[in-house]
Amino acid sequence: MSTQRVDPARTRSTLMSVARFLLPKIAQCIFVVWATYTVAFLLIHALPGDPVLAALSLKGGDATSTDPAQLEALRARYGMSGPLWEQYISNFLALFRGDLGTSIATGQPVTDMVGRAFPLTAAVAVFALVVGFVSALAFTVWAYVARPAWVRNVVTQIPPLGIAIPAFLSGIVLISVFAFGLGWFPASGTNGFVSVVLPGITLALPTGAIFFQVFSAAVFDAGASPFVFTANAKGLAQRTVVVRHVLRNALLPSITIIGLQIGYLAGGTAVVETVFSRDGIGRLTVDAVLARDVNVVMGVVIVVATVYAVVTLIVDALYGVIDPRTRTRLTGRKAVSA
Amino acid sequence: MTRTLGRSARRAAVPLTAALAVVSLAGCASGAESAATPGADVAQDIVFALKEDVVCLDPQQTSVTTSLNVGRQLTDSLLDQDPDTGEIVPWLAESWDVADDLTSYSFTLQDGVTFSDGTPLTSEVVAANFDAIIEMGAAASLANGYLAGYAGTEVTSDSEFTVLFAEPNVQFLQGATTMSLGLLSAETVAGAAEDRCQSLVGTGPFVLESYVPNDAVTIVKRDGYDWASELRGHQGEAYLDTVTFPIIAEASVRTGGLQSGEYDVIQDVPYIDEARFAGDDYILYAKANPGVPNSFVVNTTKGVLGDEAVRQAISKSLDRDEINVITGSVSGKAPAGVLTSSTPGYLDLGDTLAFDPEGAADLLEGAGWTLGSDGIYEKDGQKLTVTVTAFYAQDVLEAAQIQLKNAGIDLQIKMVAAGDFFGAVASGDYELLGAGLTRTDPDALRTLLSVDSAARWGIVDDPELEALLQEQAQTADVAERQKLVDQIQEIVGERAYVMPTLETVQLHGSRAGVEGITFDSAARVHLYDAMVTSD
Repeated sequence: MSTQRVDPARTRSTLMSVARFLLPKIAQCIFVVWATYTVAFLLIHALPGDPVLAALSLKGGDATSTDPAQLEALRARYGMSGPLWEQYISNFLALFRGDLGTSIATGQPVTDMVGRAFPLTAAVAVFALVVGFVSALAFTVWAYVARPAWVRNVVTQIPPLGIAIPAFLSGIVLISVFAFGLGWFPASGTNGFVSVVLPGITLALPTGAIFFQVFSAAVFDAGASPFVFTANAKGLAQRTVVVRHVLRNALLPSITIIGLQIGYLAGGTAVVETVFSRDGIGRLTVDAVLARDVNVVMGVVIVVATVYAVVTLIVDALYGVIDPRTRTRLTGRKAVSA
Repeated sequence: MTRTLGRSARRAAVPLTAALAVVSLAGCASGAESAATPGADVAQDIVFALKEDVVCLDPQQTSVTTSLNVGRQLTDSLLDQDPDTGEIVPWLAESWDVADDLTSYSFTLQDGVTFSDGTPLTSEVVAANFDAIIEMGAAASLANGYLAGYAGTEVTSDSEFTVLFAEPNVQFLQGATTMSLGLLSAETVAGAAEDRCQSLVGTGPFVLESYVPNDAVTIVKRDGYDWASELRGHQGEAYLDTVTFPIIAEASVRTGGLQSGEYDVIQDVPYIDEARFAGDDYILYAKANPGVPNSFVVNTTKGVLGDEAVRQAISKSLDRDEINVITGSVSGKAPAGVLTSSTPGYLDLGDTLAFDPEGAADLLEGAGWTLGSDGIYEKDGQKLTVTVTAFYAQDVLEAAQIQLKNAGIDLQIKMVAAGDFFGAVASGDYELLGAGLTRTDPDALRTLLSVDSAARWGIVDDPELEALLQEQAQTADVAERQKLVDQIQEIVGERAYVMPTLETVQLHGSRAGVEGITFDSAARVHLYDAMVTSD
């Protein structure tokens, strides 16, 4: 019942140290987004060819007009006239209003297009992440407890297949079997959870394989460490040893890898979305690149970079919460000793 | 006369296509009025898988086949054209009159036509449509091409109007049959070009229900539709209640989905899968794109292509039958003219375009080229090398590359994105272009080759040809114009300004229980007569 007295000075100092820990990371996060934007802008504008003409040909087919006066008028309309630095600055400032410009190919606001596609990609990515994580965990435990050694070796050889088989192929196989053969899931479209399953599994294969590599390395490391030896010597049940000592120690590196995986998934959905004919960020990007729709490409780059930077920030922060050693750095020695 | 030629050419294709249960290529004169009836107790709903996103639904703006296959169901045109004979017949306009100098076209609209928002079709709306197309400029380049020299529409009454041109415009009448000049409601044409891409209101037999980019388009039957052209198989409302067009980019998913029953109809059956769907369980629909077939279009100001002997040698070294077998549809045939066999006014140039390796060698040797040790001709230390710039049909180019290599000609293939292709066209920076031009009128050759054309691909300095191209564009008399068009085709073929490689065939497939899909004169799909006969 006795409410612990909060020392205001200590709270303030804790806040200060949290800020000292987080502020540079937030600054770093913003820098990453800005740098990505700048590099992407320069790269896109360094490419030869005329983006307006390219986008026009998407609609015009063999009748695409090459009349310079008409092209100039369209260029002005899509904010692509004037010197490069002017475009750079005005487009960058527009970002802070949440304005990503207008797609040259479709004439739609890029914000709308990305907003439409993003949740669809996120659904597949989250599904893939969860399935990949859980199955990698399952395989790791299986490999750890498997006896004799040759069974363990076989088990550890299975997950890497997930990354060895191209997503294109595994996607087609899944469609043939589960959509066309058994009819359990749709082969295409974005209608509800069922449409997420097959593309999600396709992406979960490489995701899970990477998780497994990190997990298993950490688990086998932990398994060979003195504290597990001690636990075993104390006669603790195998399950207790695995769950309480081995897995817990293996989780930390996998948190780091989640950040990378999300970065990969945000950009890596293009193939899966094409095979499964799903609308999403990946498909949007492919279409935009083919059409040289620079405004959409820039919009996607910004959104993906932001997601990646924010996830990295969260992972960094989580690290401090999970690992007492980094927490020392986070809040100062006093907080730990308290 | 040419018409007869075209028809006999098509007749020659009948045994081949019939064996494959291919409808439509042969014209299928009785096909439209087939005995089939919509199945009782069967839902008249179909799923028609498209190969790519439509991007823009507005048929006045887009000229991409996929978009037009949807747009055709939503919009009607002033006139219609018989794909077999090229004859122009009434549609929304019940009658029309062309001035002898081809600068004014008067129309009288049918009574009682309304847009799906309930507003009537009037002369004012037609005028607003044409004015808006001019306004859109490059965003509606094909429609603008049909309206070249547009000087305004004079409204005489609610149902009568005259379209005026500053200079003779021979292609307008034919253009008025295409959906590029299809009519949209006053509200739609008043909107911004971008908005029209997403949503539009027309007079067509179907109404747009929804369009989710990169996902699907859904259209539903228009209640009370009663103004189909006489070329359609029936009158009144469409048979189908709804058509869903999911966008399925991956070809193997489309074919697999047709086999598993997930899709009733699929667009663009890959040619290599044609045999899979040849049985009784499926119907294949094939139609050669009208216009200029997939060809090499030359820039005579670049490289060695100014030399007519070289151009002719290249043309003679192409074995078009073999290219067709390797890369074409079973339902298609090798091009035998500089227009496709499905284009009105087509002239068979079989002799000029025949595979003739000896002739090619003679021509080159006569022009001072000698065969080098590497098997490639050379002259004055210069290799006989030409580069072709293209953005699709790489397989066709590769087949041609092998054939030309055998003939001692080195063909370099430069595959680029569509935008860069048109960038090359704009700057004139190419030797050969590898592409086709879909148009339903022989005026396609003027579009392609005339000095005046806004969409000029071939760069040739030939006053005789130029004069003929201009003259045919100003000749109203059909027989007279045909003579000119025949001369043009002969010149273009003989002087090898255009070297056809393949007639591209639109190949669609459906399950056997879905019937009645037809093509319009531009090889775009009509679903008005389509029906579900059984599950």
